[in-house]
Amino acid sequence: MTGMEEYHSSNESTFHSEEADSIVKECIESVVGNDDYSQSLVNKWTAGIVERCLTQLVKQGKPYKYIVTCAVMQKTGAGLHTANSCYWDTTMDGSSTVRWENRTMYCVVSVFAVAIA
Amino acid sequence: MDDDQTEEETAFVVDEVSKIIKESVEATIGANAYQHSRVNQWTTSVVEQCLSQLSKLGKPFKYIVTCIIMQKNGAGLQTASTCFWDNSTDGSCAVRWENKSMYCIVTVFGLAI
Repeated sequence: MTGMEEYHSSNESTFHSEEADSIVKECIESVVGNDDYSQSLVNKWTAGIVERCLTQLVKQGKPYKYIVTCAVMQKTGAGLHTANSCYWDTTMDGSSTVRWENRTMYCVVSVFAVAIA
Repeated sequence: MDDDQTEEETAFVVDEVSKIIKESVEATIGANAYQHSRVNQWTTSVVEQCLSQLSKLGKPFKYIVTCIIMQKNGAGLQTASTCFWDNSTDGSCAVRWENKSMYCIVTVFGLAI
């Protein structure tokens, strides 16, 4: 995935990944924060993170469809790799991925924003 | 009959996409064992293959393909996704695949243009 540097000429129809990044970080912190990995809670966490991110993104009122994905993995030394590929309008659509961790788990959240015609 | 055909052409068909995903995963990692040095190449190859097969379908869709490969060593992994889109035209399909040494989760999101 490559970061997209868009000119801020048209504020309404370009995706600003820095804004999305800070929204995502804030959502992760508030849902998971300092908790330790817990199998019984992880389901609630991933659902909570994606819903919170989506609500904040939609509040921005931009003409976009959004997809938010979240993966939470326990730290046990296993290897984890993720990749994304997108077939879209490169001038208007964009994505942002945030990798976060604490002592016992990793959290990877991706936001994809697709412009509505 | 004509109506059915036009609907087929512009709908997100989960079965078709699921088949494409399974083929791409099998072709890329099939019987391989988890190898840290190659997994980067595998994830890239799986998403690129899926995407090129999907665009060959020629439907008026934008696609997002994500792939997660995780080594089997007892760790817990939970993934979730949520979408803000047009429920009548857009869709997604997730395929979970595994072999002896790794798990592979591929998700395709299709958004109608």
